[in-house]
Amino acid sequence: MIDIAGILTANILNIVLITLGGALISLAVHFVPVGGAPAAMAQATGVGTGTVQLAAGAGLTGLVTAGAMMNVTDSMLLVLASGAVGAMIMISVTMIVGQWVYVYGVGCPPVSAKVKYDPITKDRQDLYVSQGTEGHGIPTVSFVSGVIGGALGGIGGGLVYYSLLIIENVAPTTEIVGIAAIFAIGIFFVNSVIPSYNIGGTIEGFHDPKFRRVPKAILSSLVVTFLTAIMGVLAIGGL
Amino acid sequence: MSTGGGKGAHAQISENNIIAFGIAGGLIGIYAAYFLVDLIGGYMSFLAGLGAICGILWGASAVRRVSSYGLGTGVPSIGMLALGIGLVATLFGLAVGGIAGPIISVISAAIIGYIVGILANRTLGIGVPIMEQSMTEIATSGAIIIIGLSTAMIGTFNFEEVVIEVIATGYMAVIFIAGGLAVLHPYNANLGPDEKQDRTFATAIEKGAIAMILAGVVASINESASGTLTILIGLLIWYIAFTEFYKLVKRDAYKITGSGLLPSKEELE
Amino acid sequence: MEPLTGMGVMALIGAAATIAGASEDLESDVGSQSNPNSQVQLAPQMMYPHRIFNKAVSGEPPSNALMCTIGGTVASVLMSSGTSIVLALTIGAILAAAVHGTFSVSAHLGRSASQKRFKQPVYLDIIRSHVPVIMGYSFITTFCILVVSYLMITVLQHPFPLPLLAFIWGITVGAIGSSTGDVHYGAEREFQNVEFGSGLNAANSGNIVRKAESGLRNGIDNSWFCAKFGGPVTGIAFGMTVFLSGWITVVFDTTKGDALGWASVIAGAIIVLVLIIWNRNIEVAARNAYGPYKEDEKAEVAA
Repeated sequence: MIDIAGILTANILNIVLITLGGALISLAVHFVPVGGAPAAMAQATGVGTGTVQLAAGAGLTGLVTAGAMMNVTDSMLLVLASGAVGAMIMISVTMIVGQWVYVYGVGCPPVSAKVKYDPITKDRQDLYVSQGTEGHGIPTVSFVSGVIGGALGGIGGGLVYYSLLIIENVAPTTEIVGIAAIFAIGIFFVNSVIPSYNIGGTIEGFHDPKFRRVPKAILSSLVVTFLTAIMGVLAIGGL
Repeated sequence: MSTGGGKGAHAQISENNIIAFGIAGGLIGIYAAYFLVDLIGGYMSFLAGLGAICGILWGASAVRRVSSYGLGTGVPSIGMLALGIGLVATLFGLAVGGIAGPIISVISAAIIGYIVGILANRTLGIGVPIMEQSMTEIATSGAIIIIGLSTAMIGTFNFEEVVIEVIATGYMAVIFIAGGLAVLHPYNANLGPDEKQDRTFATAIEKGAIAMILAGVVASINESASGTLTILIGLLIWYIAFTEFYKLVKRDAYKITGSGLLPSKEELE
Repeated sequence: MEPLTGMGVMALIGAAATIAGASEDLESDVGSQSNPNSQVQLAPQMMYPHRIFNKAVSGEPPSNALMCTIGGTVASVLMSSGTSIVLALTIGAILAAAVHGTFSVSAHLGRSASQKRFKQPVYLDIIRSHVPVIMGYSFITTFCILVVSYLMITVLQHPFPLPLLAFIWGITVGAIGSSTGDVHYGAEREFQNVEFGSGLNAANSGNIVRKAESGLRNGIDNSWFCAKFGGPVTGIAFGMTVFLSGWITVVFDTTKGDALGWASVIAGAIIVLVLIIWNRNIEVAARNAYGPYKEDEKAEVAA
């Protein structure tokens, strides 16, 4: 039997960081402009896929870059930054190619139906919404929001991974890398589904009225991630 | 995006029986494999694969019930959430539990699943009355599936060996996704107003058999477990379940035709 | 590592990822995967029975993650028992395609059978003709993803094991495919019966095009159309993601100290900035080219 109290007190900081990482992922998902199934038919603004899917795709790309960086440096900030950059690249490439399809393949201008003027470019929006739809494509405000979401998600995922990896134990590195990565993936999935329930599966970005529901999701994520963080620290610390 | 038959799915087998079958069958399979591998030999590891199939059937049944309410985010997300919880709980339970590892994993998965269910209903206001119970069930079945398939791969659920043989090698990923899709796919694959419980269950067992075969493939390089028997039994179960599934499709479908035109206007009225 | 070797490997990875992305999207067009399938699923209910392959294997990212992970697992098992790498990756991809085939068959049969009351028949020739195509595309996707993952681990020294890395790239390629190429299928190909550029009016939901250039339309006709635009751009998207996220760490060799690591982060941020500006340019051009759909109400009143 492992020394539960001892491991927990020795790694209290890791637990806090993992919990924070989970909350960051949860916050990040609110920034990612996702229109769900209607967006795939140019019926709603945002990327035409599910929240969880896009957030997981971006966050896990960030995990790959963070994992590669973790291999060569001890600097926590650098690991987090490279996680953020990986996720940002994935999400902005996805959004711009999605934009090509909306503009060149479907023939719709990018437009938001939730606001009258784009908060960043001040462009008029409502006149460009085609009949019977709730917007289409990815207007600048949603694009920027998505990039922010990618950055936060990458930082969150990187933080979880990094905090799990530096837990003190006696096991060889390859084993710790495997277990920390799979744990980070588990925590990432949990924290990308919770906000997706919060926003009902679709959101246009930080200008969307649904964005005000953020605190609820963060609270839920804090509770759940805290529990999973304790479990993760105990599992890895006991090795 | 549920097009299911409204509130609550129609069931032929009662849910309590399935829950009992999932927990009991799963744990019996896992423990039987654990002890019999030591007593008789590595080829008994297939029992844990059978345990995992019990868990998969249960999980698929829980997904079926909760998804018929329409979650607004599609069927896959709830499974990813539950499998994520199951994964974390499994690693924790096996790490601290020793011989009682699977039981502790199941309990901790149930606790976190229940908490997430409460949060989803109370804080996030998702408004699905059976959310708490469903999250608990799916997360717990996820833990059983993950332990079952790991044990089928290496013949034990001893944490040190799971870490070396299953996690560090990355095979945990295939357990996660093959087990996860075996739970998610059945209801998703039979989505529609005329979905039937037995057809969904036949799909669940068929996909469970595929997960078992994959565990057998990995087991073939581990000396402590035997892949041959796991693969052969998995193939047999797959064949039986697929035949049954096709029979039920023939029973339920409007028409099965080799080829042909669309139904005529008169026919549609 | 020799910088030139690194660049060569990155080029190979980028090329493999581009092929993977394109074949992933075409697979989802033949089989009608992911979000656009909600219209295929809805059509019979709206009295439009069809001959389009109706499947949804639990969302595109998990389904692609499944085949890539199976491929990675089988390949990793074979490699550890001494099989040559090319053979191991090929057998892994073949098994993954076979499993994906069973998922496709059960999804199509199950979903069609569950639409009995809408009189949607099950056409067996659709299964016989589409499933081999679906498996072929999924073989290409899995094989290319395995090549990407294998090169990242062996040459670029990525610490994750093969099945895990294949799992992550599977999720990512599915997320990208369902965000980019699928829109071409869902918003344009399924609704060619409405005017180009009009978006999909919610009133038209379920009214998908069911007649083809010759005969009745099926999934293979759809992939023919999407191969002209949706498929290739998905390939570019996934290729760019994999290439750019690795390229910045190869150009600024992060193994040589943290300063170069930060340089790679800055390079990544610049790339993202360029993409934001590019997106803005597309937005402006599209607004000018297509013009507003309605007149400003105030202007109308004034007139």
